[in-house]
Amino acid sequence: MVKRVALTAIATATFTLSLQAERISGAGASFPAPLYYDWAYDYHKATGKEVNYQSIGSGGGIKQVGSRIVDFGASDKPLKPKKLDKKRLYQFPAVIGSIVVVYNIPGIGDAELRLENKDIADIFMGKIRYWDDKAIAQDNPHLKLPHEKITVIHRSDGSGTTFNFSYFLSNVSEDWRNEIGVGKALSWPTGIGAKGNEGISNLLKQTPYSIGYVEYAYKKRNSFSAATIQTKNGKWVKPAEENFIAAAKYASWDPNKHFYQILALQPGDNSYPIVAATFILLPREKNETNKKVTAFFDWAFKNGDESAQRLGYIPLPQSTKDMIRAYWKKHNIDPSN
Amino acid sequence: MRGRKAINALVLTLSTVSAVIGLIFLFWILWTLASKGFDAISSKIFIYDTAPPGREESGLRNAIVGQLILVGVASGIGIPLGILAGTYLSEYGKNSKFANFIRDISDIMMSAPSIVIGAFVYAVLVAPVGHFNGWAGSAALAIMMIPIVLRTTDDMLNLVPTQLREAAYALGAPKYKVILQIVYRGAKAGIITGVLLSIARIAGETAPLLFTSFNNNFFTTDLNEAMPSLTVTMFNFATSPYEDWIDLGWAAAFILGSFVLGVNIIGRAIVKKKKG
Repeated sequence: MVKRVALTAIATATFTLSLQAERISGAGASFPAPLYYDWAYDYHKATGKEVNYQSIGSGGGIKQVGSRIVDFGASDKPLKPKKLDKKRLYQFPAVIGSIVVVYNIPGIGDAELRLENKDIADIFMGKIRYWDDKAIAQDNPHLKLPHEKITVIHRSDGSGTTFNFSYFLSNVSEDWRNEIGVGKALSWPTGIGAKGNEGISNLLKQTPYSIGYVEYAYKKRNSFSAATIQTKNGKWVKPAEENFIAAAKYASWDPNKHFYQILALQPGDNSYPIVAATFILLPREKNETNKKVTAFFDWAFKNGDESAQRLGYIPLPQSTKDMIRAYWKKHNIDPSN
Repeated sequence: MRGRKAINALVLTLSTVSAVIGLIFLFWILWTLASKGFDAISSKIFIYDTAPPGREESGLRNAIVGQLILVGVASGIGIPLGILAGTYLSEYGKNSKFANFIRDISDIMMSAPSIVIGAFVYAVLVAPVGHFNGWAGSAALAIMMIPIVLRTTDDMLNLVPTQLREAAYALGAPKYKVILQIVYRGAKAGIITGVLLSIARIAGETAPLLFTSFNNNFFTTDLNEAMPSLTVTMFNFATSPYEDWIDLGWAAAFILGSFVLGVNIIGRAIVKKKKG
């Protein structure tokens, strides 16, 4: 009897509450996750609509939106137009971030350590094994590098951050290109794996003399030290916001290719070499929910730039936002429609 | 003689040391949970939902309510099914081939990795439906629960002496009456304990929920939607790099730990009372 009453109560509550809120769900990249949480929180406050975003990695995001389990997916790795056609997905960028090489060496501060791009590849391949290796020391004559083993920390899950990082390494190191290549998940020759940008951040904090790669927002939040690396032409460039913006300026988006573009290694003297846009994926046949998703991003494009900057992301320029709105209109998933 | 005594002393010491080591870890865990969790507990936790890092109005309300609903619904499905199946085994199936087959299967199910159950439920209740939902999470938990309840019910009913049943039959009671009024009554304490332990067992599970009920940053009581749970929230928060989230993770661990410990203690107390 008691059970029946309880069940009826639950059923009634379920029914009444399900009529109230408008809900959409998304999953994927951990790289923009702190920002999407933040946007969703403020969007809920402003409109009462709920956007439930869960960080499960870009690989998971592509898979779950591909099998239509979530309303939108998020990936740091843009899908090629052909693949989008095959999976029946739309794609547009949401925000730009950058990937920084972070280290935990007691006594060496932020941006003090200089790493040549090809040396980064050698460290992550296990070819440079000690912090006082000649290759590192010659670029850092003013630093006292410890004779300690380098602990490499990399992602263990399918990751868009790994994709963008390995894309960069493949373009600066022939060895990397031949032996390891580009991908969301790699067979790492050395180091320990961690899940998500969160996992790398945690492990890096706990492990002295370690090195890893995270989205800049995670570096900012945790006050990690990040290495000064090189532009496409070999000039030293600090992991600083103005240098990310300098690189992002060179992006040339093409809505006809569903904005497919990899932003690494842009030209220019101040262009930080590992910037990456993060993308939203929408199932093509779901017009109605897509409009709810674009309504959220439309709101975020209008009201979310400040949050993005506070958290260490680079908002899309106005021209790109307009281009994305036109793209929505063209495909009939415009929120006002 | 002397040799035997020496061996006795040695074995006694070794087993005492092992027991003490086990207890040390148990109390270490409890102490860590209590000290870290207690600091993180505040009334805010029960008032506000999970929020992005660094926000003032941040709590665990949605996760606590979600957890209660998930475990409640799982119990609603799992307990009756488990008790009925256990009753069948003990009172009808007895030692038949079929009954023993079910016993073996449920033993295997009991030791099945919970993540495998999660994957199964994803394939059956998430993929065809087209979205993560609370029902799937509850179903996964219920699947874990059924074999536990089934086996304890079976064992407890078997402990009721056959003579008692025969006496009831001799008085002319039909079988269903014998089961309901004689056998159940005799095994009540044991069954309740089994049920409580099975609730404690599933309340702390994360793996079967990861891709069934998923998680939700918002408050919901709608089982057709992705549903937050303390365990998944704890997993996400404890592995996050944000101080305030890590604190909330400890608070979640404390709440969950207290719940599981409480249920376990109640279970033991019932057994003790029955015996004493």
